[in-house]
Amino acid sequence: MTELYPPSRIEYLLRQREVYGRHLFGVFPAQYPREILCAMNILPVEIWDPPLDTSHADAHLQPYICSIVKLGLELIIQGKGGILDGFLFPHTCDSIQNLSSIVNDYLKPGKPCYFFYYPKWPYRESSRHFYIDQIKSLAVRLGEQFGALDYPRFKQYVEKGQKVASVMRELYSLRARGGLNASNVEFYRTVRQGEFLHPDDLIPLLEKFLAESQGTPRNDTSVILSGVLPNPPEILALLDELKIRVGDDDLLACGRRYLVPPSQSQDPFEALAERYFQMPPCTTRNSPIRERLEDLINKIEGSNARGVIFCMIKFCEPELFDLPHLIEGLKKKGLPILVVEVEPNQGLTGQLTTRIEAFGEMIR
Amino acid sequence: MVKRLMSLSKKIKYRLMKDVGAPGIMRFLGMGKKRPPRKKSPSLGPPLTCNRSLKELMAMHYLLSRYAQGAMPVAWVTSGAPVEILRPFDFYTFYPENHGALCGAQKMGPELCAEAEEHGYHQDLCSYARIDLGHYFSGKTPVGRLPKPDLLFASNNICQTVVYWYKALAEYWKIPLILFDTPYNFGEINEVDISYMVHQFKEMIPLLEQISKRRFRYKRFQEIVGLAKEASLTWGEVLSTMKVRPSPMTIFDAFMHLAPIVSLRGLLAALEHYRALLAELKDRVAHGVGAIKNERWRLMWDNIAIWYKMRDFSNLFAERSMNFVTATYTNAWTETIGYLDEAKPFESMAKAYSLVILNNNLNHRLQLMERLIQEFQVDGLVIHSARSCKPYSVGQYDLKKLITERLGIPTVVIEADITDSRAYSEEQAMVRLEAFFETLEG
Repeated sequence: MTELYPPSRIEYLLRQREVYGRHLFGVFPAQYPREILCAMNILPVEIWDPPLDTSHADAHLQPYICSIVKLGLELIIQGKGGILDGFLFPHTCDSIQNLSSIVNDYLKPGKPCYFFYYPKWPYRESSRHFYIDQIKSLAVRLGEQFGALDYPRFKQYVEKGQKVASVMRELYSLRARGGLNASNVEFYRTVRQGEFLHPDDLIPLLEKFLAESQGTPRNDTSVILSGVLPNPPEILALLDELKIRVGDDDLLACGRRYLVPPSQSQDPFEALAERYFQMPPCTTRNSPIRERLEDLINKIEGSNARGVIFCMIKFCEPELFDLPHLIEGLKKKGLPILVVEVEPNQGLTGQLTTRIEAFGEMIR
Repeated sequence: MVKRLMSLSKKIKYRLMKDVGAPGIMRFLGMGKKRPPRKKSPSLGPPLTCNRSLKELMAMHYLLSRYAQGAMPVAWVTSGAPVEILRPFDFYTFYPENHGALCGAQKMGPELCAEAEEHGYHQDLCSYARIDLGHYFSGKTPVGRLPKPDLLFASNNICQTVVYWYKALAEYWKIPLILFDTPYNFGEINEVDISYMVHQFKEMIPLLEQISKRRFRYKRFQEIVGLAKEASLTWGEVLSTMKVRPSPMTIFDAFMHLAPIVSLRGLLAALEHYRALLAELKDRVAHGVGAIKNERWRLMWDNIAIWYKMRDFSNLFAERSMNFVTATYTNAWTETIGYLDEAKPFESMAKAYSLVILNNNLNHRLQLMERLIQEFQVDGLVIHSARSCKPYSVGQYDLKKLITERLGIPTVVIEADITDSRAYSEEQAMVRLEAFFETLEG
């Protein structure tokens, strides 16, 4: 299936600029109105886990700051984001909030930096108004540099976003039922192309992957993956080796953003707001813990999962705070749980491998 | 009927305690056998007489909180939340962060944090939160007993952490959580943000009426906003007395006297306390009485206090003739309060509460620190990199570099935690401080 993917991210991005004249924006995790950017001919390139050593970022950030924030800063300091035309920082957590200011106010990378605040739970009528105002405000601010938002074009991109969500839902649903004939590695490699592919390239890729991966239902043991990222990638490979299928996920970078129901609204701003408020529960939007637990239980039931693996990025406060409640709730249901502390790019230690293998044995 | 009678009996009990019982207990404790005074550095000046009234005020607040449950609605509130909106509904307000600081100062932090850790809360999480959750699981507290809340009231203007923490409490207690969501000021505050916050206040009122079973009284609300403003401005005047050489108090005194503006804001008791403290400080200034005997160097503190090291640091710096005369932390409860306006309480509260230091960009913080350094004639800066507080700490390494470059004053970063002493290394801190002292004394 390798021909599905672009040869390399950097080549793809350069081509986007050269052929389509698209501006490239580095976007930090996690929630933002992608369609606004695309409609303004800006391609969002998400910055989650660039494969870098964080020695430069360590001079700016304390040892108790998570590696996602450090890797993002490292990318900027090392100039690896040289091809980018600007940065967008969504208000995901305290660390990303302050990182945005370090970059904008102190490091001054010579590229425009934008910030996107989204309302936090508990949601009220004011939250909805505010969210729409925020999207419009972002469009106006970007418009000052990249030209005004073209409404019909925006509408088209919202429709494309709906199409992406629809194929994602189908992929996730097929996988949950055991009907997806693809490894965990292949699945996440494909899904994560959404972090930088333009929708015109992403939609056919997802559709092709879906068509090629439909197969006879698999009887592998299923687990749910929870956390921020399906990292390190070695976890997925190990699960493949152990014949354990990730039946569904509660990952910030994946399922929590992609699995949104279709919008009924004709107005593109309203449609984006509808999507935001209907996203699966997430720590970064302050969703109540009971909703997260219910969502996890639904995923477990829907994918016939035998256990949950929490991949916790060290120092990630939003995720760590919810964990005790989730564990307690899942244990009450008699579900096996494995909590592993991981770094996005640091592979698996022997000890971690043994723990995952033992967990696999237990749930089989 | 039985419920009503019980509630009435609790109200009478509370009233009796407030008017007769608690003051009597305070007097009795005051007359009783006094604890031998703790060892104080000879380099320190005379202690403030208002320290005693502060202790009484806060002891009374904690004591009465036990009787509030059932007599009136009880709310647990984050330190930066706009408490003025709760006061017209007669909520008894309790501040877990203040309780956390108290536990830290009494060196109970590790014990309570460990209780939370046993229940799955990671050691990397905020230690105020772990202390509070540790109290939830164990009931341990240095103040006897804490009132069970009917409401959790949080604002993310100081951090997102308080919301994650209060969400957990809401789940355990099955009680409502109201959030005052304050958009972060990456740039300047704008009308959309203000309108969102005003809208939230208006949405809160019916909820608060429902929880408290009391009607909202707009005039009373305006009076409370006025009282809060006056107390905060008076607190600002208290801090301003430290501009004088020698400074009549140290930042360690200010850390202690911060409690009423955090916990009793909007109540007359806070204002009265600061009026008395201000009078005492002015008297000290008039008589040239310094908080330390030989003030040669004047320092600034950045971030929350290291509560379990207060006494040690107070002595250590005084012995070096160094006095902390300002802090970004103590300043936070007066910096934006000028925005408060009884005539426009909602709009003005939106500004006052969303423009606070931790909800503002780092450029704002740099400018604020530069201004304080100039106004208070600061010779050196001590930065506490607090493991518990990411919004306060992320960016400090760059702040240090910029302040050193722009103002040429010595600066030092101490890696520690606000209440969990397990995250503090005395050796490492002293190595850094010794180097700082050498540069300063140079």
